[in-house]
Amino acid sequence: MNYSLSIFECHMPESKINTGFKIVLSLLFSTLHLWAYNQQKPVYKFQQDDSLLKQSYFKDASAQQNKLINSLGKEYKDDYKYIYESRFKEVSGLLQSSRAVTDPAAHQYLQSILKKITDVNPELKALQVRLVFSRDWWPNAYSMGEGTLAVNAGLMIKLNNEAELVFVLCHELAHFYLDHSNKAIKKNVEALNSTAFKTEMKRISKQEYNAGKQLDSLVSLITYGFRRHSRENEAEADKYAFTFMKKTGYDCNGIITCLNLLDKVDDSDFSKPLILEEVFNFNDYPFKKKWIQKESMIFSKMTNDDSPLTAKEKDSLKTHPDCEKRIALLADSIHAVAAGKTFIVNETYFNQLKKDFLVEMTEQLYKDKNLSRNLYYCLLMLQDKENLQFSIYSIARGLNRAYESQKDHRLGTLVSKEGREYADDYNLLLRMFDKIRLDEIADLNNYFCRYYQLLMTGYEGFEEEYSKAKKIKTQ
Amino acid sequence: MRKLLLTVVIITITTVLYAQSYTFQNIRKTSHRSSDAIKEGTDVKGYYFFNVTDKIDKNTNEYTLSIFDNNLKLMKEIKFQDSKYISILESSFNGTDLIFLFYNSDAKTFEYQIYGADGKKKAYTYNRQLTKKEKRYLESTYLLVNDDENTYKGLYPIDGRGFISNMPSREDKDYTFQVDYFSTEKKKQWTFTPTEGGKRFSGDYLGYFNNVVYFEVLRFGGAFDQKPDSYIIGLDLETGKQLFEKPTDAKYRFYPASLSVLNDGKAFIYGEYFDLNDNIAKDKSKGFAFWGIDEKGKIMSEKYNSWDLELGKFLDVNSKGKITDFGYMFVHNMIQTSDGSIYAIGEGYKKVASALGIAATLLTRNSDISTIKVKVTDMMMIKFDKDFNVKEAKIYDKNSNNIELQSGYDFVSGPLIAKMIKYYYGGFDYSYTQNNKDLSSFTVCYSDYVRGKGYKGSTFNSISYNEGKITTDKINTKSDASRSWVLPAKLGQVLIIEYFKKDKQLEMHFEKLN
Repeated sequence: MNYSLSIFECHMPESKINTGFKIVLSLLFSTLHLWAYNQQKPVYKFQQDDSLLKQSYFKDASAQQNKLINSLGKEYKDDYKYIYESRFKEVSGLLQSSRAVTDPAAHQYLQSILKKITDVNPELKALQVRLVFSRDWWPNAYSMGEGTLAVNAGLMIKLNNEAELVFVLCHELAHFYLDHSNKAIKKNVEALNSTAFKTEMKRISKQEYNAGKQLDSLVSLITYGFRRHSRENEAEADKYAFTFMKKTGYDCNGIITCLNLLDKVDDSDFSKPLILEEVFNFNDYPFKKKWIQKESMIFSKMTNDDSPLTAKEKDSLKTHPDCEKRIALLADSIHAVAAGKTFIVNETYFNQLKKDFLVEMTEQLYKDKNLSRNLYYCLLMLQDKENLQFSIYSIARGLNRAYESQKDHRLGTLVSKEGREYADDYNLLLRMFDKIRLDEIADLNNYFCRYYQLLMTGYEGFEEEYSKAKKIKTQ
Repeated sequence: MRKLLLTVVIITITTVLYAQSYTFQNIRKTSHRSSDAIKEGTDVKGYYFFNVTDKIDKNTNEYTLSIFDNNLKLMKEIKFQDSKYISILESSFNGTDLIFLFYNSDAKTFEYQIYGADGKKKAYTYNRQLTKKEKRYLESTYLLVNDDENTYKGLYPIDGRGFISNMPSREDKDYTFQVDYFSTEKKKQWTFTPTEGGKRFSGDYLGYFNNVVYFEVLRFGGAFDQKPDSYIIGLDLETGKQLFEKPTDAKYRFYPASLSVLNDGKAFIYGEYFDLNDNIAKDKSKGFAFWGIDEKGKIMSEKYNSWDLELGKFLDVNSKGKITDFGYMFVHNMIQTSDGSIYAIGEGYKKVASALGIAATLLTRNSDISTIKVKVTDMMMIKFDKDFNVKEAKIYDKNSNNIELQSGYDFVSGPLIAKMIKYYYGGFDYSYTQNNKDLSSFTVCYSDYVRGKGYKGSTFNSISYNEGKITTDKINTKSDASRSWVLPAKLGQVLIIEYFKKDKQLEMHFEKLN
């Protein structure tokens, strides 16, 4: 069945619509199609986190933190304390919030994969690891350096198979095994406290003239050193990850496919980019082109904003730079190893988890007050007819929240501004938020809810959002 | 610095940060003139911020001119070294080029630097050397900048071609004004300074239309002349040659405040009018007028709306023609919407007795403070049809504020004082008007001060027109910042700038208006 016409191309030439009755009929027809479509899919049930596990992880992390702080020597104690406390704040932010996934099934699945790695790499067994999925949207995984490792939902939904996930885990385990984080902290704190640095700082502070320029050079030099060191660590972690992975039976080509994927990870992962003119277009409230009209960028020449980026610029803006170089360093070794399996633990669950994580991270975005990205994913799901009822409900809820926030002049805290680092279709949504007026948000949500009312019959929370939208409209 | 570097350590070992607003660090001093919106017409295209970033030697500083786009993305940082005595006075954008006016208080020079939209400085600059007399005169007028409230702006863009500058000037013993044109197409400049037939001249830029630059001029016969001649002059944009001089007496005596191109590309000047025998400098105005004018100074049409008759139908106007409590209206802007309606955006003002001035006069006899002061009252928006018939008028309440005047203004007329309030005292609350390209919406912005139960502090207010519907909104701008101010942003938004003196930080973020 092809539903796309009935859903998104719902606007018809005026001449063809003679009576309100026809409109109602066509609306009923199109939404009935959607309704029929949605009956085939069960309503999404959110993951249920294991709060005891979360508490236990946090307790472990706290105990470790206390031990670390208590063990600090006198030397540069304040600096270490400042850094360790900042790091622990990040860890607490993850483990004490709804961001960390401790749903038994998802968590158990991740531990099973971890076990596949540690079983064949005994040197990793001794590590005290707290490995979790997180509901964060950005495509990344990280090791905090004190045992907490996380794989973001935003990365998981992009991975193709367990082999790629295994590489990600091996890479983060390698960072932890090699103690990169703590070594970097030590090295950088020592650099900041070195006689050479202190003498230079003292000398600059006494300068009456050109002090700013000299300070800039010194800061650039030292931060360049920090970053160079960080890139060296990435290469070393890749090397160790390969060593760990090749014993697991997983296909090491997953390293190359994963790095290739990371290279393009900022591109849209949906079948087609978000087309706002379609998802927000209704017979009696057509999409307004002025919402996304491009402004003349008079200063674009200053940064060649409209010109294609150079390869170097493009790479520097990526979430994961240097992927090509990283592949080149490992390619020969990988090709020398016999091909393994792409799935060992559970292919079906892996694919299910990817779908679930799209909803989970979208909902997390709402909780984290990142409304623009929350709506972006909801609209993409609506466009792709994935998790239809969830996406419709979330859009109605999001538009009501956008209205209330804009009314209180706080919308700027919930939506981002257009940026070169974002996908084109996301930038269009941001532009729309930038331009749409308060009363237009109210109108849009009313027509949106009305259009999907039949389909959403019985969906918890939708009626409440629709009533709210109607109330807002009459204010 | 130490914390900054430690933070860098944390960033390099863990996460990436994403920013939506912008913060300048290590800012020791700020002034309104060191930052402004860069506009193309009423459309905000970006912002500039001018800061001293280093001391090079005892006479030289390093300056950084940072240019941002209208999403607050840093587009260009222009660093240069110059005398420690320079300051930035104002900027303007003509759709293709930016002009920045710098003042060197030691060398007594103005320097106009021009940058293309690519951020590259043009090979030429325009300079003006001030005499000691001129410097003194400008210091009491245009350069009266050290209070941050001064809003005098004298640089006007000519689309894609150059800029007009209008500044007070002194020629020998005459007090006059100087008009300069600075081309951005090639190095070309002309200057016009009226000195003939009078001892004192005051000139206001009205606008530009079809290669002609229009000015309203008041010519005083002597230093103590209280009854000036009023006339409009047209200057050829190419040569600076005066094309016409048109007295503003017709059916009534007219005192235009501005020019707008309305009704399918026709030029109209508008402002208050008086009886023919009245004195523009002293008497009370009768109402509000529009003149259609062509490039030769020929008056094509006249329309007069009196305070008591035409406006009185819509507002409570008393017998003397004074709108009750509102006073007279100073029109800040005029805008024509896509349906042909014309909206005048004005603000009320009235002269009232100054207790401070009276007391000072009684006590010292030679007080510097006038016995009258100006009370700036509410905002008003008048809707006209395309023939300038009044269709609607509405007053938007705000708290009034009082402007104490220097002595000598006791017998000066309202419209003249209003211009002083506008250009020298920065006393009006009106900020700016913006419209979209298809003229289906516009927003009028002004500041206010609220003493309510829930909030006491300054607010930034708006009156918005969108497809025939008018809404109002206000943003509370009081915060923990040492100082905060508001700059225009894209239509329907404002940029709030906050300076935190203790942290030496200048923070900026957008807010949407409803």
